[in-house]
Amino acid sequence: MNNQDFIRQSDGLDSQSRYTQSIWRTLHTDPPLLVGISVLCGFGLFVLFSASGGDVSVVRRQGLTMVVGFVVMIIVAQFNVHFFRQWAPTLYAAGVGLLGLVLVIGVEANGAKSWLDLPGLPSFQPSELMKFVVPMLMAWYLASRPLPPRFKHLFWSAVLILVPAALIIIQNDTGTAIMVTMSGIFVVLLAGIRWRIVIAGFIALLLASPAWFIFLAQEHQKNRILTFFNPYRDPTGAGYNIIQSQIAIGSGGIYGKGWGEGAQSHLDFIPESNTDFILAVLAEEFGLLGVLFLISMYLFVLVRGCYIAYVANDMFSRLLAGSIILTFFFYVFVNMAMVSGLLPVIGLPLPLMSRGGTSVVTLFIGFGLLMSIQTHGYSR
Amino acid sequence: MAGKWQLKDHEAERALFSHRLAVAGVFVLLLFAALIIKLINLQVSQYEYFSARSDGNRLHSQYVPPARGLIYDNRGQLLADNQPIFNLTIVQEQVADLEETLDYLDSLIDLSDDEREQFTNRLRRNRVPFTSVPLRYVLSEVDKSKIAVNNFKLPGIAIEPQFVRQYPFADLTAHSVGYVSEINRAELESFDEEERENYGGTNHIGKTGIERTYEDLLHGRVGYEIVEKNNRGQVMRRLDRTDPIAGKNISLYLDSQLQIVAEEALGGFRGAVVAIDPNTGGILAMVSKPGFDPNLFVTGISTKNYSVLVTDEINTPLFDRSTNPYPPGSTVKPFLGLGGLQHGLVDYEFTIEDPGYFRLPGVSYRWGDYTLRTAIGGGHGHTNLQKAIYQSCDTFFYDLGNRMGIDTMHSFMSQFGFGENFAVDINYARTGVLPSRDWKRETRGEPWYPGDTINSSIGQGYMWATPLQLATAASIIANKGKVVQPRMLKAIDGEPYLPDIRDPVSDVLVNDPDYWRYIEESMTMVVHRAYNDVFREYGTAYEAIAMEDREMPYRMAGKSGSAQVVGISQEILQSEDIQVSDPNKDHALFISYAPAESPNIKPQIAIAVFVENGEHGSSVAGPIAKSITDAYLLDILQIDFAALDSAGDELIALVDE
Repeated sequence: MNNQDFIRQSDGLDSQSRYTQSIWRTLHTDPPLLVGISVLCGFGLFVLFSASGGDVSVVRRQGLTMVVGFVVMIIVAQFNVHFFRQWAPTLYAAGVGLLGLVLVIGVEANGAKSWLDLPGLPSFQPSELMKFVVPMLMAWYLASRPLPPRFKHLFWSAVLILVPAALIIIQNDTGTAIMVTMSGIFVVLLAGIRWRIVIAGFIALLLASPAWFIFLAQEHQKNRILTFFNPYRDPTGAGYNIIQSQIAIGSGGIYGKGWGEGAQSHLDFIPESNTDFILAVLAEEFGLLGVLFLISMYLFVLVRGCYIAYVANDMFSRLLAGSIILTFFFYVFVNMAMVSGLLPVIGLPLPLMSRGGTSVVTLFIGFGLLMSIQTHGYSR
Repeated sequence: MAGKWQLKDHEAERALFSHRLAVAGVFVLLLFAALIIKLINLQVSQYEYFSARSDGNRLHSQYVPPARGLIYDNRGQLLADNQPIFNLTIVQEQVADLEETLDYLDSLIDLSDDEREQFTNRLRRNRVPFTSVPLRYVLSEVDKSKIAVNNFKLPGIAIEPQFVRQYPFADLTAHSVGYVSEINRAELESFDEEERENYGGTNHIGKTGIERTYEDLLHGRVGYEIVEKNNRGQVMRRLDRTDPIAGKNISLYLDSQLQIVAEEALGGFRGAVVAIDPNTGGILAMVSKPGFDPNLFVTGISTKNYSVLVTDEINTPLFDRSTNPYPPGSTVKPFLGLGGLQHGLVDYEFTIEDPGYFRLPGVSYRWGDYTLRTAIGGGHGHTNLQKAIYQSCDTFFYDLGNRMGIDTMHSFMSQFGFGENFAVDINYARTGVLPSRDWKRETRGEPWYPGDTINSSIGQGYMWATPLQLATAASIIANKGKVVQPRMLKAIDGEPYLPDIRDPVSDVLVNDPDYWRYIEESMTMVVHRAYNDVFREYGTAYEAIAMEDREMPYRMAGKSGSAQVVGISQEILQSEDIQVSDPNKDHALFISYAPAESPNIKPQIAIAVFVENGEHGSSVAGPIAKSITDAYLLDILQIDFAALDSAGDELIALVDE
């Protein structure tokens, strides 16, 4: 598994190994990451088949999206990561420009005006691009400055993060805005921001949250928070999702009810069972063991991602890799915590498991960047 | 900016990054650990609880209503059938906004205000939570598809199949068979615990007629099933089932063909016919006209249709004329005459000189002879009991009644079912009034006057009887005193039904059985005694019956009657200029049985005909009884009277030898 060490030690000893090694090198692909992602994708399709009530067309479309994702991932991995470093400011400027354009000519879907329908291009969400453009820019910005970052740099970092985040919030897509902000914050955290600033920020956030709740939060957001503390205050309305999802998870027990046997999901008691709440289906049908398997697979990908960040050659690659993998974790944890009632309901999908289009491709772009970092580092 | 690069310490920065990555790793592990603890809490510690919640979500125990027993007539013809329909139902608890949903349904299938109102009424009844309440019965195919297509927008709305009553003969059996309709709140509240359970899945209950009388037999026993429902309340699977026990199929004595004949024979008149087989007591026909379509009531009659039925004060289609009382008029005379013979007040030779009126000693008021009021004046002259019956001489019976007294009259007449309900299974039938001293004191608070007796002796005054009672009394004469109580139910599931009569009525006994023959002869004369040279010596119904059909193969015993509705003076009635308005005209009655005076065959049918405002018992009601008798004896029983007579002659010849 330890490619780097293996290569160093086996240099010139085993031509066969070197040959296989060099094939992955040439393809710019990281085998452990590829295996982890593939297993998760396969398991995801398997669960989705049951969650969709055996709808083959849903599974086929999701499979197709994943294939597209894999192709995009391989393509991205072919570029040397320094190419992205050079282009980061340009990409960022373009991304912010597109976000601005969305506000003018954007198309609305599911309550968020976030789609751009440009002639000659498939319609896409510029906000999705920002999920990797923002950490890319932050990594570019902070890597070229002394670390830990100075206060001045932190200020500009905050500006660079909040401008796109604000634009996305105006689009009424809070979930994506949170993810974009977090991906930027992870770079700052990894860059060595002083703990006292982190703690001060955290305390400030805690103190500000009641004010946010009272003055800024929208009605549905307030409801979600209140429901989180007591789902039974409105069991058929706001609390319905979380109650039914907890019933599904709890009734799954240790071993689960079996694939395709989840009564909660098959009788449509779980809303959004294909997307945000797919973990409830998994937990009901495969039990605690199934969830633990899923967590261990995620953990495997996480460990590999952290390793790539750890061994990366330069600070830009480290910060970018670290932010990508932590954002991935953030996705996983927030979704699982929300479905199991550990966090309020936030509309975030479960990576590689939930049904979805653009967000899946974005995820694969992130993995492509990780592979690029891992496979281009030694060629120089 | 040149110093920027000099300040960068790559090794220190790398160490700082690694340190931060390690801290992040610790956070990742901690958060995953928290997640796993939460999952263990849900899936292991609270497994039992959530498992039960999950089952409670999807598993529902529901009632399975039993199929209602069918009702057949005498010849196996269906009188009450079960027909599958599709209902639009709503589970209130699963609907977020009822008004909004109803508005939306209105845009799909046009709900009338009436339907909405009825639905609200149904909701207000004490219903078990989460049961479906019908919004519309009998959903058309088009509406069904409209609902099905928009199903996803309509949580809590379902299309449920149901079997409901259908009455193929509609108006014809509206009163006798009755109808079922939705269980109302009063009925629901009168249920005991067991009944409440048994009717858990049932929407309908028998309201009138046989449907009500035999509700227990027809309803059956409720079943149960455990079903799995999805979150829209749709049944996905059946998991366990206790089958309901269907109600019993019952057969009645009623003959649909005779019922049709009776209904048609009444023609355009309002009235009633009751026909009884004297041998079995079985009610062959029981018609009240006009009827109504009982099918309207099954799926909830609209306010408009209902108001049409109840506001018709002349026709009163909902009023069952066959079991409600009217003054019986002269139809009581044969019974009174028999009472006179039995009590020695008259004999075969006894005669009076009829001046055309009767006067109580010391009272100036004259009781006129109603039968003569529209005819030429004068009395019947020399009159014995026989003539008093076939000529319907009031004066004779005024005198007889006066000498008999109300107490004897009451006790004798009650043996024929006057003032009582002899019917085994028509408990809703009224008893009418057979007046007595006690009765008058209790209801009027007045003593009995001799004049009351005079009125009663011609079936007027306080005396009231239902067509069912008159037919029953006629059948008792036909049976020569043997009482076979009238009944509707003939068989249950094909097994002949013998009712367990708790308090059987005893037969009418007379000192000399020849009295029966004498009365029968007198009643036969009503129908068959032809015109002759002697003034007023023909039967009152001769012209309308025997003269109309000179080929009549059997003899019929009968008695006509006209009952005064309002007191109208002789002058008005005899005046050509004044038309008596329809509702003020006399009621026409006729009782009969046949074949009479046959040595070979016992009477097969006893009939009472009541024609509201029909004026003339003999000429209006008589022919109706005749055509019903014809239909029964000749078409239905197909009795070959010619063959019977010759067989009888052979028998006599045999005896003679």
